[in-house]
Amino acid sequence: MTLQQKLDDFKAQFESGGPPYNAPMAVIEIFHRATEELRQSGLAERALKTGDRAPAFTLNNQDGTPISSVELFAKGPLAITFFRGHW
Amino acid sequence: MELEALQAALPEIQHMGASLVAISPQLERYGRSIHRRLNLGFDVLTDRGLQVASQFGLVFVLPDYLKTVYLQFGNKLDEFHGENAFRLPMPARYVVDQQSVIRSANVSPDYTRRPEPGETISALEELTKAGA
Repeated sequence: MTLQQKLDDFKAQFESGGPPYNAPMAVIEIFHRATEELRQSGLAERALKTGDRAPAFTLNNQDGTPISSVELFAKGPLAITFFRGHW
Repeated sequence: MELEALQAALPEIQHMGASLVAISPQLERYGRSIHRRLNLGFDVLTDRGLQVASQFGLVFVLPDYLKTVYLQFGNKLDEFHGENAFRLPMPARYVVDQQSVIRSANVSPDYTRRPEPGETISALEELTKAGA
């Protein structure tokens, strides 16, 4: 199963309003509204895109060790995934 | 789910000599907990104050009506992020070459849509084939 299929399954289950999430319809509608507003804001179209230069960064990893993009680029290309968090 | 899927793709990514990092605004202790729980082989980086996500143009402020729902569900972004601004990055996946040029970008205003790890692998493959 692809990642998107798993995400779609999760979404369908959540939006069914049934267990285990028992999400109220009002809450589901709020999520839809927020996503639609974000889409219409055009923010995604203004984000960095193919051909742009990626900013250099140094951020701490899970152990508190600073990780520098410059050092990663010395080894090879880099895939970056931005995620919201696991709540 | 996305991090697990990327973990499954990690050997292939590393085989090409590429690196993978995940970036979120969550403080280190939360990153550490995800890293352990999912047994990840790549780094989970803490983007304090969403500085890097801002540079990529990914950051939005939660509208008040959404913030209320988040708090009802225990999504205490203020605690998780160490700031009161209730901001999040749009989910995004980038492939960047060694000259820091973005070669593939997928930004999703809909948090329920994510690119497949296979797309990232293909983008990396093209780069390594091209000898970049």
